[in-house]
Amino acid sequence: MSESQMTNLVSFSEGYGSQRSRFNFSPYVFVLPCALFAAALLFYPVVSSLALSFRQATVDTFVSGDMPFNGLTQYQAAIGDPVFWRAVINTVLFTVFSIVFQFTIGFLLALLFQFEFPLKSFCLALLLIPWVLPLLTSANIFKGLFNEAGLINQLLHLAGNRPIPWLADRQFALPATIVANIWVGFPFNFVLLYAGMRNIPVELYEAAKLDGADYWRRVFQITLPILKPVSVSVLMLGTVYTVKVFDLVWIMTGGGPANSTHLLSTYAYQVGFSILNFGEAAAIATLMVLLLLILNLFQLLMKPR
Amino acid sequence: MRQVRVAKFRRASLAIATLALLTLGASSGYTETTVEVIHYFNVEGQVQALADIQKDFEKANPDIKIKYTYVPFGELVSRTLQMAAVHKAPAIAAIDNPDVLRVAKSNILEDISQEVNKLPIWSDIYPGPKKAVTADGKAYGVPIGSNSLALYYNKKMLSEAGVEPPKTWQQLSDVATKTTKSPVYGIAFSAVNTEESTWQWEPFLWSNGGSLVDLTSSNAVAALQLWVDWVSKGLASKDALNWEQGDVASQFTGGRAATMVMGPWMLDAVKKSGVDFGIVPIPVPKEGAKPVVPLGGECWCVLKTNSQVEAAAMKFISFTEEPERLRKLCDTFNYISSVKNIAKQQGESNPQLVPFVEQMDTAKARSEDGGAKYPEISLATRTAIQRAVSGQAPADQALKESAAKINSILSKN
Repeated sequence: MSESQMTNLVSFSEGYGSQRSRFNFSPYVFVLPCALFAAALLFYPVVSSLALSFRQATVDTFVSGDMPFNGLTQYQAAIGDPVFWRAVINTVLFTVFSIVFQFTIGFLLALLFQFEFPLKSFCLALLLIPWVLPLLTSANIFKGLFNEAGLINQLLHLAGNRPIPWLADRQFALPATIVANIWVGFPFNFVLLYAGMRNIPVELYEAAKLDGADYWRRVFQITLPILKPVSVSVLMLGTVYTVKVFDLVWIMTGGGPANSTHLLSTYAYQVGFSILNFGEAAAIATLMVLLLLILNLFQLLMKPR
Repeated sequence: MRQVRVAKFRRASLAIATLALLTLGASSGYTETTVEVIHYFNVEGQVQALADIQKDFEKANPDIKIKYTYVPFGELVSRTLQMAAVHKAPAIAAIDNPDVLRVAKSNILEDISQEVNKLPIWSDIYPGPKKAVTADGKAYGVPIGSNSLALYYNKKMLSEAGVEPPKTWQQLSDVATKTTKSPVYGIAFSAVNTEESTWQWEPFLWSNGGSLVDLTSSNAVAALQLWVDWVSKGLASKDALNWEQGDVASQFTGGRAATMVMGPWMLDAVKKSGVDFGIVPIPVPKEGAKPVVPLGGECWCVLKTNSQVEAAAMKFISFTEEPERLRKLCDTFNYISSVKNIAKQQGESNPQLVPFVEQMDTAKARSEDGGAKYPEISLATRTAIQRAVSGQAPADQALKESAAKINSILSKN
């Protein structure tokens, strides 16, 4: 070994050795609680649910704990059932329509609230009610509204129309739940977009105004482009929230009539907790996460680089 | 300085540890067994009745403590399984009778055949409730009480329409036709996407000689066609597809239905509403036929724990099943006793219960169709009910598809 290499080695060991003895643990200690929570409440359930989806976990095998590994059998059983595909289509329709309307309504309302008008803050508080109300309450209110003797049918009756069995008819039940979900979710879109708009410097609008841009031109060429990062976050969060909607649909239709309004979430619940086929329910839940990833991927493509 | 503090701390912790050991020793010296009872009873009267029994029982057995654990109806079975899977099984579970055999199949219930044979009431239990808790000659539970379905009718509406309370399907359809007058429907029932719809349809299916494991039979088709006709002719609201039984009862008490398919547990609510009503047995396909209704109600089941807890659990069950106490329990629960003698007494003191009591002789445990697989079969059946009633498919077609599904369920090991 040459002399220069020797000195190199010495300086190496000196330099790093001293640093190692002063190794700073504190950042890791601060991260630890969060990491533990994430491991216990996120990582563990996700992994064990994934593991469960490859096992024959039914009433008979669950308690004894010997749930035999049987590969993709659960997935085959899940995708072999037409109700599953109905649930996939419903979940996509439910999500797309909910998000499009929630976002549009939220955006238009946010525009409206850039103007000053009497009782503005009162209306602002009022708009948050759907978001603040417990979902159980909203779902039951909408169940009542769409009832045969409910308010909507009474209005139809006043207008001289026959009552429509909204929630008991295959054609109307899913749209009815979507309407309810739009109502529940639009304030979320509104609040974030409203806050985003407040952050746009007024000078931009003034300059555009001087250049002769009319109101809608300013909306499309200033507000929308600047809001793009906010919009993408709103849409992604909204998608996550919407794909996993469960209680609203479960209360309003229970997946009926004749399984026509099942979402993946309600269907997984039914398979898991009515039939007690935990393995297949886990498989459906896994596929639901996959669907969510695909939907989010689409939105990531929209994200500004 | 530091040394001293550490020593002090050590001494203090030693003292605390000794104290803890002493108290532990004291409590384990006195043998007290805790019997955890998991259930979903949440009506005020039920809760009170359970609390009363607990008080009396603990007074008579100071070495046993009863601990009630309430869970929502839909979670009882899965929660019980979970608790058993992590070796924290409750001592007793009050399981809905169609679920008993399924839970027994998971091997967490104790076979209590010997113990139940010692119960004085066991030999006097109706055949239906007994079948719900027995498989291969082994008993896995003791019925608390039963309920079933009959036909409530609005006396005023029927007399205004000039019709008598119906005994047969034909008469029932006739009554429904004559009493339907917007906004009143002739009949209300539940065809919702839960067990409730299968349960409400079973009286018609079974009284017509049908079975859930043979849905393609003409008996089954006729029973479903009956429901389909009511809805398609406008005698019943299409909203039945979304009504739970509570909603059905409010249609009746709100004067929007002339008759309804309903159980004894609604008696108090209907009485309170002030509607002048009567109850008749479920109408049958032809005059003279016997109505066959499904049995509701829970059973005490003993879970596999250890011999001491199991013995204490059995003691509690025997205590609740002593005739006088059982009568009181069933009365407050608005249940018909599963014990013949007690049920007859209930009918004598409350004439409105008579149709329910009369039906008990022929009443059928739901798990008689499919055993442990009943819940899955019921799920497939209600899909057919909903498809047919909502008009998505003709009754025979809907039943045929569900029958295929049921066959594949039955052929699984």
